[in-house]
Amino acid sequence: ALTRLYLDKATLVWNGNAVSGQEELNKFFEMLPSSEFQVNMLDCQPVHEQATQGQTTVLVVTSGTVKFDGDKQRYFNQNFLLTAQATPTNTVWKIASDCFRFQDWAS
Amino acid sequence: KKGRGPFRGKMYSEMNHRSRNRGGPGVRARLEEDDGDVPMSEAHDGPRNRYLPYGPRPNRTANIHITVRRDLPTPERSSSTSRDGGRRNWFKITIPYGKKYDKSWLLSSIQNLCSVPFTPVEFHYDHNRAQFYVEDATTASALKQVSRKITDRDNYKVRPFLPALRGRVRCWHALPHAPPQSLQNELKPEEIEQLKLCMSKRYDGSQRALDLKSLRVDPDLVSQSIDVVLNQRSCMLVVLRIIEDNIPELQSLNLSSNKLYRLDDLSELAQKAAGLKILDLSRNELKSDRELDKVKGLKLEELWLDGNPLCDAFRDQSTYIRSVLDGHELPPPIAFDVEAPTTLPPCKGSYFGSDDLKVLVLRFLQQYYSIYDSSDRQGLLDAYHDGACCSLSIPFGPQNPPRNSLNEYFKDSRNVKKLKDPTMRFKLLKHTRLNVVAFLNELPKTQHDINSFMVDICAQTNTLLCFAVHGIFKEVDGKSRDSVRAFTRMFIAVPAGNTGLCIVNDELFVRNATTEEIRKAFLMPAPTPSSSPVPTLSAEQQEMLAAFSMQSGMNLEWSQKCLQDNDWDYGRAGQVFTQLKVGLVG
Repeated sequence: ALTRLYLDKATLVWNGNAVSGQEELNKFFEMLPSSEFQVNMLDCQPVHEQATQGQTTVLVVTSGTVKFDGDKQRYFNQNFLLTAQATPTNTVWKIASDCFRFQDWAS
Repeated sequence: KKGRGPFRGKMYSEMNHRSRNRGGPGVRARLEEDDGDVPMSEAHDGPRNRYLPYGPRPNRTANIHITVRRDLPTPERSSSTSRDGGRRNWFKITIPYGKKYDKSWLLSSIQNLCSVPFTPVEFHYDHNRAQFYVEDATTASALKQVSRKITDRDNYKVRPFLPALRGRVRCWHALPHAPPQSLQNELKPEEIEQLKLCMSKRYDGSQRALDLKSLRVDPDLVSQSIDVVLNQRSCMLVVLRIIEDNIPELQSLNLSSNKLYRLDDLSELAQKAAGLKILDLSRNELKSDRELDKVKGLKLEELWLDGNPLCDAFRDQSTYIRSVLDGHELPPPIAFDVEAPTTLPPCKGSYFGSDDLKVLVLRFLQQYYSIYDSSDRQGLLDAYHDGACCSLSIPFGPQNPPRNSLNEYFKDSRNVKKLKDPTMRFKLLKHTRLNVVAFLNELPKTQHDINSFMVDICAQTNTLLCFAVHGIFKEVDGKSRDSVRAFTRMFIAVPAGNTGLCIVNDELFVRNATTEEIRKAFLMPAPTPSSSPVPTLSAEQQEMLAAFSMQSGMNLEWSQKCLQDNDWDYGRAGQVFTQLKVGLVG
């Protein structure tokens, strides 16, 4: 159900692996072992409208620790572009892009 | 809420609410703010209801100031209240200085105000405090409801002695709590017989093995509504007695999946089942390996602990084995449930998406960082959009040790998870290109290891390119000279010119580099994807290099590259450099 948070054409780049579209995202998250995240840092900026052609978007930058089943605890950085989708009744925010990397991805 | 239930009605009629007009004894509640008395941490953003019923004691004119505070349970606590299956929630009520009041007077006064009849369980004193337990959140919150009654101020004045006590607001705590000891499940004799039967079904005589995994949900027990909760002392002791009486020759015991959070109740296990060789404690709630000290004396050959919170504390399996099994005298090999092999997707290097983008971004980064690493970052003005935003963040928590601390970055760090003040949040987000570059110029001088750079292209449209750069740099002057840092920088850019980029958003995250990262950094001579090995320089070239570096402000690596690219034609190199600087975008 995580994929519900993503735009249809959203892309996830996970430690250099690119995953695009709902179907692929679904498969990816299903295959990923369960995890426990702790976010220690969060920063955000409004994305300039020239880049988004007026579609309200926020850049979110996070870091912290994560423990996947079967793996040791690691530090990570994860960045999102969140974009507002207006419906007649309210505004829904969706992930337009998601970029995740372990800080020690090489080891 | 008043007059609910017979019990309540009775109490109500005894008490005379109207007495307040007569100034006679009656219990009143008053809402009073007192921010000084109660230490509340950031996490407690639940309702802070206070009330002060002041009711005179018979024959006395003292007043009780009582406040009710409900702490939100921490995750730990809430799991503790679910120890008994979460069917009931217990709350421990503490009234400081409650000891000085007559017990029945105190309880009846409270009951008079409380809309829900409650039964105080295990009322007792702890030093000056009166304490008792109540069952369920409704009761606890009903106690809180009373706090909202407002007193008749006039009557307050009737009691001139009051000011003396006014300052002292006492805290009456209503904290979630495990069920009081006396009420924990005690099994009746006929239930114990059924339990024995159940255990015998789970016993394998040929192996002398008893499997008590998930005992609570055993169908035989459940069908007879027998609740055997092994993490409660009384139940565990019953089980141990059954073992002792019937199968003292037990060799293997499986206690997995029983929500055991401590092993105190197993302390007699070594005596009752002296021959025990295999103990399975997996999938419980043991938080520390020190729990095992409580079952000293067991001469185990196999010990299973996987699936307990304590497992996560160990970085790798060998530390775990050494730490846990030290002192347990286990002969090798040790049967250990090895964690499932990782099924994480393999981690890869940079993701560019396309070769064109790769060229574009790498060129941009080379140009950007050559200026960034120079003595003056003003040149970056051309890289940014007029309306650009920039902010900085550093890790919060264990990742930022005091040695080699990130002090230089701390004051500008924008962590909105911790920083709630909207003014500060606003200030720390640099806006417009002048402010952005001025800010960047204040940051410590750097030298980046471009070979360490890893790039992830996150998003691309006609008008937007968003990418993350991860890499290493070192500081080249100041207090933290030679400190090696690692960074993750998010760039969002719009197209500029034919083949250029103009930055609209820039978020820089800086942390200390790990020993591994430091080891690998700055190993190779400087950059360029298409570089051939650097030839040794003639004396003339070295002179040219030094001069060029000084004039351009670029470091030696970049100066050399520029000269090389222009066949050591000083003039031409200078021109190209100036062009580059002005038209960073092209």
